[in-house]
Amino acid sequence: MNLNATLLGQMIAFGLFVWFCWKFVWPPLLAAMEERAQTIEQGLKDSEESAKKIIDAEEQGKKMLAEAKTEAKKIMDNAKNQSEKIVEESKNKATEEKERIVGSAQSEIEKEVVNAKKTLEKDFASSVMSAVKKIVAKEVSMSNYQDTVDKSLDEFRK
Amino acid sequence: MASESSGRTFQEYLEHHLQNLVYGPLPAGHERKFYAKGSDEAGKEVYCQDKNLNYDGEKYCNETLTENGWYLANNKTDVEAMGFWALHIDTMFFSVLLGGLFLFIFARAAKNFSLDKPTKLQLFIEMMIDFINGVVKGTFKSAKNTLVAPMALTIFAWVLLMNLMDLVPVDLIPYPAELLGIPYLKVVPTTDLNLTASLALSVFVLYLFFSIKSKGFVGFIKSISLHPFGPWMLPANLFIEIIDLLAKPLSLALRLYGNLYAGEMIFLLIAGMVSIELTQLTIAGLGLNLAGIGLSLIWAIFHILIVVLQAFIFMMLTVVYMNMAHEKFEQH
Repeated sequence: MNLNATLLGQMIAFGLFVWFCWKFVWPPLLAAMEERAQTIEQGLKDSEESAKKIIDAEEQGKKMLAEAKTEAKKIMDNAKNQSEKIVEESKNKATEEKERIVGSAQSEIEKEVVNAKKTLEKDFASSVMSAVKKIVAKEVSMSNYQDTVDKSLDEFRK
Repeated sequence: MASESSGRTFQEYLEHHLQNLVYGPLPAGHERKFYAKGSDEAGKEVYCQDKNLNYDGEKYCNETLTENGWYLANNKTDVEAMGFWALHIDTMFFSVLLGGLFLFIFARAAKNFSLDKPTKLQLFIEMMIDFINGVVKGTFKSAKNTLVAPMALTIFAWVLLMNLMDLVPVDLIPYPAELLGIPYLKVVPTTDLNLTASLALSVFVLYLFFSIKSKGFVGFIKSISLHPFGPWMLPANLFIEIIDLLAKPLSLALRLYGNLYAGEMIFLLIAGMVSIELTQLTIAGLGLNLAGIGLSLIWAIFHILIVVLQAFIFMMLTVVYMNMAHEKFEQH
């Protein structure tokens, strides 16, 4: 237990050990551990970011879906309106057409009636005249009864 | 256990176990003594004559050196004659072996470091690095100094390994070594004051170096002369501060040495209770044996605590002293 040169030998050994540890053991180990810590930190950050991205994308998707729905609704509404309008228009048109056809038919009929009346009038007058002529030729001269005939014709016209 | 088998008294057994293997210079005219082996007088004399030595008629063969030279010490008188320039071979061997083992394992782990597939050894080493780094970061707050953390790691791991040698049964290595012709062997380097003092002195030298480096020489002188009473009490300040300064390495060295030496001593005392001379075994002797085995187990378990604690304390105080060395001088 007395002190001797071992003291110096041990100091040299200690110095060498510390130097070796200082140069070749501590720095690489610490550096590697710090690198690992950074890698883990970066990984956590990345995963957080990507989680955020996923949430963002989901929201965007929902928004797009909602937009598409409103768009579709709009389109459907438009189509409904359009079709209603078309139906309405065609109804109107049909009514008009009907009225027009009915109107023209009526005027045709009226014309026909007038024509028929005229023809009837003419036919009736000439037949009456011929009948009268026949009768009168046998009994009296024509000129004597012209006035009476005209008068009765006027009355007929009325 | 070895006390009876090698024919020693318990006193001699203790002394034998507490003596380092010393290699040093011996002057011409020094008388060396060797233990004479043999069952009777005649046998011992023959043993000595075989080695060309003189038998002293009692226990030893003597040899008077004719010239100066370096020898392994055989007993206390040899060690005393060697003086300062002697080496404790066993302390040097085991400390360098353990220090080398520590650096080898750590350097290999650093070389094979894997970021994503760590081995269990690597995880353990990372744990150590993390632990030391935490201690250093928590305590050493001043200037940037890259030396402190690796030094703390070296001290902790090295002292821990050396202390752990204390848990190896006391005769496991020295007894076979003695059979191989090695006269003394202490396997726990930290029970050698030389080793603990060398660590403490190295730390002290670094303390002085960093003190002067950070405060400047004048600042350092001021820090030990103007504290704690102010300039008008300069002699008293110097007296107190120098004692304070010297107490640092002294307490470092003696704390570790004292704890481990005492622990080793208790292991030896317990080992003295155990006998393997079965022919002489009585009931009481059997009880003593069992008690010795039980006690050594209990002491070993308790000693694990001391082993780790002392390594930690030495490391912690080193970091604290390094921090003090970097503190700027303040007027209180």
